[in-house]
Amino acid sequence: MKNIAETGRQMSAINLKDNINPQRENQRQKQKNATRRLIVETALKLFALKGFTTTTTASISKEAGVSHGTIFAHFKTQEELLVAVIDEFGNRINLRLHELAGGKNGMKEVLEAHIQGLEEYENFYTRLVTEYRLLPPGARNTFVLIQSAISFHISQALERDISEGRVKNLPVHLVFNGWIGLLHHYLTNNDLFSPGGSVLQRCGQELVQYYMDLITRTSG
Amino acid sequence: MKICIACGMPMEDASDYAMGDTGKDYCKFCARPDGSMQSYDEKLEGMTDFIVRTQGLDKQAARAAAKAMMAKLPAWS
Repeated sequence: MKNIAETGRQMSAINLKDNINPQRENQRQKQKNATRRLIVETALKLFALKGFTTTTTASISKEAGVSHGTIFAHFKTQEELLVAVIDEFGNRINLRLHELAGGKNGMKEVLEAHIQGLEEYENFYTRLVTEYRLLPPGARNTFVLIQSAISFHISQALERDISEGRVKNLPVHLVFNGWIGLLHHYLTNNDLFSPGGSVLQRCGQELVQYYMDLITRTSG
Repeated sequence: MKICIACGMPMEDASDYAMGDTGKDYCKFCARPDGSMQSYDEKLEGMTDFIVRTQGLDKQAARAAAKAMMAKLPAWS
């Protein structure tokens, strides 16, 4: 008898758990996700403003209005937060670059789309390029992922332009690296090329034009 | 819009999907000629070659980056 009563109590406890807790669990999970998003958004903003290596978790918690401990309840280490934020940035910019460059036919349109996509995230991307070598491996792999989105569109457009005789027969990786080298030089030295303002806005069009002149096939 | 579960590429048009089939969760670059999805090894090889060809990375470095990218995708995690 006792055993049956005990089992009955256990069963009703299980039922109770099934009936009530999922809702509470659900709310708790929602709250947890919202806090995580808030931390990531705040970190995205502060990293773009101050850089990865100089932004402290204390300043992120202060800006987000959460306790310092809350950050570490969501991310075990500072590095884990950094990787999560760079991952999030990678997802966003990949989607945006794909949106802008997808369906574009020529190299010029792809380069213009690249400039436009980066312009929307210029501060964060510039920090990423400048501090790349100081980042943990997880974050550095995301950088290759971001570059892959653009190298994909460049390779497709370049192959088409070459086969149709508009562009010189150049190796894809060098056309890609030549472009990235030029672009990153301007971004990392934005204080010299465009103090206080967007270097992409100021010089982007000129860079696209120059690069197209370099690779365009001239008749005769 | 779906994102390819095997390589992460956003798929907008039907032409982005394997065999043009929007019911599939992977893109045309992750499909074998018969329409089935490539294996992990095939995809790793393909992605490594893509990075080497379009970005000029060292093969080992490209493979490490490809592995890390694939670890974050639903098909391989």
